[in-house]
Amino acid sequence: MSVFVGIDHIDKVFNLSNGGKYIALKNIDLKIAQGEFVTLIGHSGCGKSTLLNILAGLDAPSQGGVLLEGRQVTKPGPDRMVVFQNYSLLPWLTVRENIALGVNKVYAALPQGERRGIIEQHIDLVGLRHAADKKPKELSGGMKQRVSIARALALKPKVLLLDEPFGALDALTRGNLQERLMQICQENNVTCVMVTHDVDEALLLSDRVVMLTNGPESHVGQILEVNIPRPRKRLEVVKHPNYYSLRNEMIYFLNQQKRAKYRRKQQLIAVAGHGLEKVNLDIGFIPLTDCAPLAIAKEKGLFAKYGLEQVTLSREPNWKTVVEGIRDQRLDAAQMVAGMPLSLTLGLDKKAPLPVVTSLVLSRNGNAITLSKALYDKGVHSLSDFKAYLDNNPGQTHRFGIVHPSSMHNLLLRYWLASAGIDPDRDVELNVIPPPQMVANLKEGNIDGYCVGEPWNSRAIQEGVGYAIATDLDIWPSHPEKVLGIREDWINRYPKTHLALVKALIEACEYCEDRRNREEVLEVLARPEYVGVDPVYLRPGLIDPYQKLKDAEPEVIHRFNQFYANQSTCPGRAEGLWILTQLARWGMTPFPKNWVEIIERTRRIDLYGEAARQLGLPDAEPDRDPFALFDGVMFNPDEPVSYLRRLDTSHELLIQEIDLDAPLTLAA
Amino acid sequence: MGDKPALPPPTKVFSDTLELIINPFFDNGGTDKGLFWQIWASLQRVGLGFSLSAIVGVGLGILIGSNAKIYSAIDPIFQVLRTVPPLAWLPISLAALKENEPSAIFVIFITAIWPIIINTAVGVQQVPQDYRNVSRVLQLSKREYFFSILLPAAAPYIFSGLRIGIGLAWLAIVAAEMLLGGVGIGFFIWDAWNSSLISEIILALIYIGLVGLLLDRFVGLVSQLVVAEDK
Repeated sequence: MSVFVGIDHIDKVFNLSNGGKYIALKNIDLKIAQGEFVTLIGHSGCGKSTLLNILAGLDAPSQGGVLLEGRQVTKPGPDRMVVFQNYSLLPWLTVRENIALGVNKVYAALPQGERRGIIEQHIDLVGLRHAADKKPKELSGGMKQRVSIARALALKPKVLLLDEPFGALDALTRGNLQERLMQICQENNVTCVMVTHDVDEALLLSDRVVMLTNGPESHVGQILEVNIPRPRKRLEVVKHPNYYSLRNEMIYFLNQQKRAKYRRKQQLIAVAGHGLEKVNLDIGFIPLTDCAPLAIAKEKGLFAKYGLEQVTLSREPNWKTVVEGIRDQRLDAAQMVAGMPLSLTLGLDKKAPLPVVTSLVLSRNGNAITLSKALYDKGVHSLSDFKAYLDNNPGQTHRFGIVHPSSMHNLLLRYWLASAGIDPDRDVELNVIPPPQMVANLKEGNIDGYCVGEPWNSRAIQEGVGYAIATDLDIWPSHPEKVLGIREDWINRYPKTHLALVKALIEACEYCEDRRNREEVLEVLARPEYVGVDPVYLRPGLIDPYQKLKDAEPEVIHRFNQFYANQSTCPGRAEGLWILTQLARWGMTPFPKNWVEIIERTRRIDLYGEAARQLGLPDAEPDRDPFALFDGVMFNPDEPVSYLRRLDTSHELLIQEIDLDAPLTLAA
Repeated sequence: MGDKPALPPPTKVFSDTLELIINPFFDNGGTDKGLFWQIWASLQRVGLGFSLSAIVGVGLGILIGSNAKIYSAIDPIFQVLRTVPPLAWLPISLAALKENEPSAIFVIFITAIWPIIINTAVGVQQVPQDYRNVSRVLQLSKREYFFSILLPAAAPYIFSGLRIGIGLAWLAIVAAEMLLGGVGIGFFIWDAWNSSLISEIILALIYIGLVGLLLDRFVGLVSQLVVAEDK
């Protein structure tokens, strides 16, 4: 798609009279092709009109900018004509004079006769010949809006901006005008951006519907492609097979937002006073290389720097105890595998949904898939080898170790196996084993391989019992690995403490990323209270080149442990959504019908952004563009369900609405 | 002064003033002229003074209205000056201008100008954001904006200022003429009082009222012709 209008990472911040700031729009990024009709929809107060005004140049963004044909928009101009909601005709001018005002200005170089011709042509275009000499007060609402459209079109704008253009009209007039507008736009290949709250109007007119979440920090929640062929007729569009499913999707989105608005109102009561609400925190972690940010925050005094004076890091034996610790509130926060907050929120293991929030990604990458040396000796050197091996030995059971159902290890291992046509539920057996026990189980021959974080791959490799057939960088580079997981009700109770915690950990992540600090990180990790292993097993990937097989040539893997680079700490929504699809793919949780709401609530970009801003760091989320894993299957964050349907699985896809608010009201 | 003359009944007023009513156009020289001439002289003064205040008032109003800072700085001063009664200006203007005629004009000017300035300024501030947006989108120049948007949009306010202004101007001239003398309806009353001709005063009052009404209607009519209503 060639970009005609580029809305480039726009923020709009209003200064409040009490000295505070109101972030109306956050990181709006949108590309519009020539001739495209795009609709902005959302509840009132979501900033859609503000966005339109920024496009028009009537308002300036606080961050980012608008490009029209590659040039930045800095002020209003006739190449972006606006059709205002209240028509904005000048009451002292007749219909003709209202249109002429712009024409005479913009086409000042043309001779009088030609300008006259343009004016008359556009009076006819909107069918107002009989009223050409009337003043606006003599016209009906529909006629006024026709004048407003004619005034805009007469200037041959590159982009037509419409702000709820038909909102005040009766149904019949509205229908006629919509069809007229569509026809005009199509004949003249006009690019349009329209703001509306009418879902039927949006469907009838648009090529794409951009749905915005509620303010503050309103952003693009979902984009809907309206693939109904043109020319469209009002009465025929509704018969299109996709019409009602598209319409339902929009209504559903708006309903989710309405609930969010109500919830936000309730939460405002819980805001605490100055200082931190809680300074003694218990934070759970699992002995792994990627617990480094927690260990460093503690050892380098970063927790204390942000006022968290009594942080106890609690070394947990396995992920299950982490879950229990969070559930029964023994732990205030925990290092979690990336899918854990999502799966707990959805209600893993048939338990009631427990909203758990991520506002920080602690680490990315750092995993590998290790197979036993025995398999290597049988010639299994790649995924296709393994598939062939399974096909040739149908009677045997092959067991793999994973650390937790909702961990990236499980999800990536399954994805990796499935991409080769291996059903992870039927062709192999997956068992949950705590990370520190993986090597022992492999040695015993209880399992044939596992997917886990370091140092538990390197240890098997160094000891010669296993080899890494793939690292997670071969599957999905820079995937979110460990996150900070906290109960939502805890955050609502201790918002400032949470902010301090996130800030301390962002700084710790930055420290861990710097390769000059890695020797020190290694020394801390090797201590018995953290990972407690021989540093030799911790070095590969973290400091040294990574060795996939004992005695093999070590290879330099760029960012094997990624803590901070490329804004890796940001809990992006799109990657969270990908995890949701995989949890549903393997039948661990249903796919939430209200996925927009689930993602908004569990991936708290707003809280991350607040912390980042206070640290003077960029606070914007990565673009929500479609992406693919190693096999090239595109994941479009606007169409998770169609992505799910394209993927192989032996599970039946279950789509359900998850009601999060029942348990929340009890806890709050 | 001797005894105060008695207030005559309506019939007596009518019979006393019949001469003046049926013959408004006589001119015996000096100040002894028909009521038409008296009123005409006053109207001329009002016309001149009011025109001046309209021009200066609208100009100042637009200037002040287009800048919020100037407006908030100057508005309190206007609010104070506006309450000064017309006649209180008279000694000042006599002292400054020395002559009767210009002083009278100045009193009219200074009386009528305040509502015109204040209303114009408000009108300029109240130009709807929509119209400003239209002008910004069309990239109208300052001049084009002034004539195509600002003046027409502020016109209703300007005219209501003018309407209040003309009423005040008429009020002021009658009072000023009583003190300054010469031909004019104000001095006519004063003259009649000195001659104890209460009936003539009553007739003059009726005429003043009627003329005031006509002036107000006249400005109203002009405003109706010029100002476009939105609704």
